Amino acid sequence: MIPGLGRALILLSLLLGTVGAMLAFATARRPSPASWAWTKRLAFAFSGGLVAANLLMVYALLAHDFSVGYVAQVGSRSLPVWVTVVSLWSSLEGSILFWGAILGVYVSVATWANRNRHPEYMPWAIGVWLACGAFFSFLLAGPAQPFATVQFPPADGPGPNPLLQNHILMAAHPPFLYLGFVGMTIPFGLASAALLAGRLGGAFLRPLRTWLLLPWIFQTLAIVLGGWWAYEVLGWGGYWAWDPVENASFLPWLTATAALHSAILTERKGILKGWTVTLVLATFLLTILGTFMTRSGVFNSVHSFTQSPIGPTILAFLTAALLWSVGLLAFRIDKLAPEGRIEDGKSREAMFLVNNLLLVLFTFTVLLGTVFPLLVEAVRGVQMSVGRPYFDRMAVPLGAALLFLMGVGPALPWGRATGAQVQKALLPPLLGAVVAAGLGLVLGVRNSWTALTLAFGGYTAQVTLGELWLPISQRLKRGTALAAALAEVTMGAGRRRFGSYVVHTGAMLVIVAIAVSSTMGISKEVSLKPGDQAQLGPYTLTFLKSENLTEPHRTAVVARIEVSRDGQQVAVMGPRMNQYERQREPVGTPDVKSFLFHDLYLSVMNISPDGQSLGLLALVNPMVGWIWGATGLMALGGLLTLVPQRRTAAAEAVR
Amino acid sequence: MNRKVLLVGLLLVVPLLGLLLANLGRDPRRVDSPMIGKPAPPFSLKPVAGGETVSLDALRGKTVVLNFWATWCAPCFEEHGELQRAARSLGPEVRFFGVVYEDEEERVRTFLKQQGSAYPSLLDDGGKIAIAYGVYGVPETYFISPQGVITSKYAQPLDEATIRRAVREAQAGTAGGAS
Repeated sequence: MIPGLGRALILLSLLLGTVGAMLAFATARRPSPASWAWTKRLAFAFSGGLVAANLLMVYALLAHDFSVGYVAQVGSRSLPVWVTVVSLWSSLEGSILFWGAILGVYVSVATWANRNRHPEYMPWAIGVWLACGAFFSFLLAGPAQPFATVQFPPADGPGPNPLLQNHILMAAHPPFLYLGFVGMTIPFGLASAALLAGRLGGAFLRPLRTWLLLPWIFQTLAIVLGGWWAYEVLGWGGYWAWDPVENASFLPWLTATAALHSAILTERKGILKGWTVTLVLATFLLTILGTFMTRSGVFNSVHSFTQSPIGPTILAFLTAALLWSVGLLAFRIDKLAPEGRIEDGKSREAMFLVNNLLLVLFTFTVLLGTVFPLLVEAVRGVQMSVGRPYFDRMAVPLGAALLFLMGVGPALPWGRATGAQVQKALLPPLLGAVVAAGLGLVLGVRNSWTALTLAFGGYTAQVTLGELWLPISQRLKRGTALAAALAEVTMGAGRRRFGSYVVHTGAMLVIVAIAVSSTMGISKEVSLKPGDQAQLGPYTLTFLKSENLTEPHRTAVVARIEVSRDGQQVAVMGPRMNQYERQREPVGTPDVKSFLFHDLYLSVMNISPDGQSLGLLALVNPMVGWIWGATGLMALGGLLTLVPQRRTAAAEAVR
Repeated sequence: MNRKVLLVGLLLVVPLLGLLLANLGRDPRRVDSPMIGKPAPPFSLKPVAGGETVSLDALRGKTVVLNFWATWCAPCFEEHGELQRAARSLGPEVRFFGVVYEDEEERVRTFLKQQGSAYPSLLDDGGKIAIAYGVYGVPETYFISPQGVITSKYAQPLDEATIRRAVREAQAGTAGGAS
């Protein structure tokens, strides 16, 4: 019953998406109120179908209905409820289904938000969204069918990949990633609409920016949640490995970040219109490329879904989307004529350009490193991988330059600047640079890149904190109380500006924390018997004993390790080795104890069956926790700038 | 039309697509088994249904198909029927055996009773034989020539046509005098 109903819902969405897209394009060419109304109705109905199909799948998972193909593949009666729910996206077919639901929600909300606005653009945009939606419905109807009927339902299923059952973060990382990835469809549709309509006016930049910023916030969180998950689950002590699929999530983030900045120039100066839409189109294309990477079986990675038949279908879609974008740009970009120009190389506008150049260079660098192994194998027939060293060598200078630019750009004035103005703007933050670098040297920083990053961080911190403080201090001078001033700054007219500096503060902290954590850590691999001790930096680790635990879906051996510092017990930690029912290899789970400036990270490498001999990886990771916190700050800043300015204008009027 | 944009766009897009297309269908996890062309590790295992111990040495001269499977493995279930058909039609010169992989004897017994089987399944206590063959997961199927050499290995559910082809290859191992 459920398989049939699920397939019907998906076919319905396919039909609604296809008809809706055609109607939307027809409406864009020959506007009429009736066809416009029906376009919107079809968009909502399409979304409803996919959301309903998802709810049905969740129900089937919870009810352990093994007659549904996907449930037989990933379900298991012995799982906790949360694992059962998240197994919706733990495997290929379910993840595409989930993609469809998120796309549906985005399309509905974006259609609803603009139901009475931008009539010259919106039908085009809805047409593009629904065309993408129809493609994903097609995937679900054929190549990646989650609702296949199982003729002889098994009594129980295997459950999802144990790595995905190992940590609650797994419930958070994929949804955020989908909210980021899938969300980029919306600005793609809007940018296509701008090209099709042949203009990009000031008013239409608002939805473009809003709908780019929203998935950007999710994407930012998703990338870092993924790193956090890897850190807490995989047990090698790091959070980023330049794995092809990590790169796949990073690439669209880079171009989206560039687009958010160039959109500011488009908004303020009416320039770079074609460039902004190019970046938005590229962002979407990179999300589809990323999807292809994870689901074609071409790239190997912790993330890749097993060999799947949908690779060719996604490649066909990618090809269509690429040709659509290139064609659209080639034929229409000249219509988006600039309304101004950059007047001075020493202005803030010019720094926006440098920022864009660096971000695009970063994108190409990562893209090249990711696809290079494919090139080598195609040409020379040997398997190879571009390792961390390449990416680190390229990313470190680019990251440092971006960090510095975050200080230089906002310090410079808009428009034109005299030499004296430039000096007055750029010299004082050198103090921050010297202080930060000096502090680093005192605390033991010896790596020159880390020292440079600290100096740039100090420079940018001084500029950014100055910009954050400026509106508050102005209000304080006018006699406003601090709390009221803060409330006005974060809720009132200057919120967008304030929010973007909050984002910069977060980004600055992330870059500094990455530099410090990747060069200043200490690590040790030791083998211990019960009662043995090992010294790691200031900590003494004592292997107390091992314990066997039995949980419904797994058994585990936990190594109890006492951590003491200066003779005082700090904690008893329990890194563990999990053995899942029906999985051959055990899966370790590290234990992380976080302090303000560093984490103590213990991971079981191996443990003998009797628990008498333990191989332990122990690390002190400085500032890793700051990455998670600072990313939260970036998201918060993004949210501050996201809330529409319209309300602000109203508030202004009231005042 | 802006020819420059078109040219730059196509210069970026076409090579990338070509590269992805050229790599489509490649399996990054593919590791050719080092066991192929080597003598099959010997075993002597008890059938689930009871009876005489089966040993590989005693099967010299016959083509052997060794299918590692488990009741909890859905793809194994898919290929069960195909294996049965192939086993029935290929005759006594080709001997099929299931090797139970990480499973409970009771469940296997029930499964075989319900589904029926044309050939015996063997119990591999502690998974020693699976380890000797380098089994990574189930289903995996090994084809062994009459000389006792592994001629191919499949780590995916098989259909009857593939089984027949692999059996022919294993038998051709004789004709070519491969051992």
